[in-house]
Amino acid sequence: MIQLQNIEKVYRTDTVETQALSQINLDVAPGEFLSIMGPSGCGKSTLLNIMGLLDAPSRGEVRIGNETTKKLNDKDLAHFRNRHIGFIFQSYHLINDLRVLDNVELPLLYRKGSAGDRKRLSTEALTKVGLSNRLKHFPTQLSGGQKQRVAIARAIVGKPSIILADEPTGNLDSAMGNEVMDILLHLNKNEGTTIVMVTHDEQMARRTHRLVRLFDGAQVQ
Amino acid sequence: MWSINFSNHQAGTSRADSLMLILKGVKSQLTAMPGVRGVAYMGYNTPYSNSMNGTGFEYDGKKYTSMDYQTDDDLRQVLQLEMVKGRWYSEQDAAGKRRAVVINESLEEQIFPLGDALGKELKWGGEQDSRVIVGVVKDIKHEGDYSTPKPGIYQRADTGFYGWTGMMLVRVDPSVDAGFESRVHDRLTSLMKGATIEIGRLPDQLARKNREMAIPLVTAGVVAAFLVINVALGLFGVLWYNINRRRQEIGLRRAIGATAGDVSKQILGETLVLTTIAVLLALFFAVQFPLLHVFGMLPGIYVTGMLLAVLFIYVLVFLCALYPGREAAAIYPAVALHED
Repeated sequence: MIQLQNIEKVYRTDTVETQALSQINLDVAPGEFLSIMGPSGCGKSTLLNIMGLLDAPSRGEVRIGNETTKKLNDKDLAHFRNRHIGFIFQSYHLINDLRVLDNVELPLLYRKGSAGDRKRLSTEALTKVGLSNRLKHFPTQLSGGQKQRVAIARAIVGKPSIILADEPTGNLDSAMGNEVMDILLHLNKNEGTTIVMVTHDEQMARRTHRLVRLFDGAQVQ
Repeated sequence: MWSINFSNHQAGTSRADSLMLILKGVKSQLTAMPGVRGVAYMGYNTPYSNSMNGTGFEYDGKKYTSMDYQTDDDLRQVLQLEMVKGRWYSEQDAAGKRRAVVINESLEEQIFPLGDALGKELKWGGEQDSRVIVGVVKDIKHEGDYSTPKPGIYQRADTGFYGWTGMMLVRVDPSVDAGFESRVHDRLTSLMKGATIEIGRLPDQLARKNREMAIPLVTAGVVAAFLVINVALGLFGVLWYNINRRRQEIGLRRAIGATAGDVSKQILGETLVLTTIAVLLALFFAVQFPLLHVFGMLPGIYVTGMLLAVLFIYVLVFLCALYPGREAAAIYPAVALHED
């Protein structure tokens, strides 16, 4: 599903060159739930950004499905992300001025579709994460776990084949973290969604199919 | 064109008819000078002067007021007034039962909207003094190029006029020089015993009038431009601040599928929606001016002013939102989403 070949990422300033990733080769199979672990600053988020086409590697190639992403321009990348990838972030990134339903609708705004369809699909997504009774609430009226469930609903509303989650349980207590993890496992198992999750939590990582460890930008396991 | 003011003329008589003959003689002498194309006496309210003279009269039971120009028969030729209809008054009108007058287009439009002014009688102080309209001339802007022509009436000078007037207009060849002006001055001094002669140039007076009219406009324009620049800078700053405050939101939108163009359009769209709300609110108050006839201007002027103002506001807002919109579109999602 996702193929990373010889990925390197170097950040350059006038005086300093920082190797964030080096020689990453990784295949994520369709329907796989992969977790990435490693100490802070080892390049986990950079790797996730490259997989999610939010960042380009300095060297190497990213293939998603059968598509080589190297030649896609900015507009094509945006459309590709919109169609195929859902994102979940540690700090949720919900828009506080919008109601829950409107937050979930966001990815659909960048597709052609009627307002009625958007509302139906968003309601369905929120129902899947158990928040059908919070449609008209604002994010500030929700707990951390509920916010992350809204973020998951936003990630799945466009029915993407891949979900990239950057420490989705990092801001939650263990009970809420487990709830979120249960939802992700459910999506992976019942809907066949490929999930790549960055985590610091060994326990959460053990619930996934495979664990990849990074250290100083290199893959060690 | 020159305007010549003469005062303290010691003509040696106070009889109006004698004065008339003396002044007509002066005019003949002046007209005979090579370089002079025409001479006309008129009241002190010559074009572009600071002097104004008004008159009130009645027509069909209604009272009207207008500018009043007392002139001799040659003013039309000297000022090159363009006849719209009828004729200018002449020597023959001296024998008429009623005094001949010529009105301008503005006055005709006011009193005779159907354009049938010729032959109509205007009344001054009752039935005894009625004057007949023999012609209509095009408006001229007596108060400068930026002024609105006012309704005006040109009245043929009677004998009494020569007892009080002190102005004449002289059309001269464009080629005349300062020496010629000196010769005219000397001639007039010799013809009009004891008179103080002041020669002014109409183009200079026009330029002075235009400057006087332009000063408040330029001042208002400078103040308006200053305010517009302040508004533009303020708007630009607010949009800039707003975009910096929303960096994570914009990064998120980019991550989930918004193209750079979508982000740019969103910023412009939001700004234009806010502008529309503000414009509608402002228009609500602005339309009260024509509805309540606050300044007594035509509704069309208000409508044009409002349309131009709205257009200007939209252009200003669009320009101020354009660059921040582009900057927002350039936000890099991978960076923005990891900022605190």
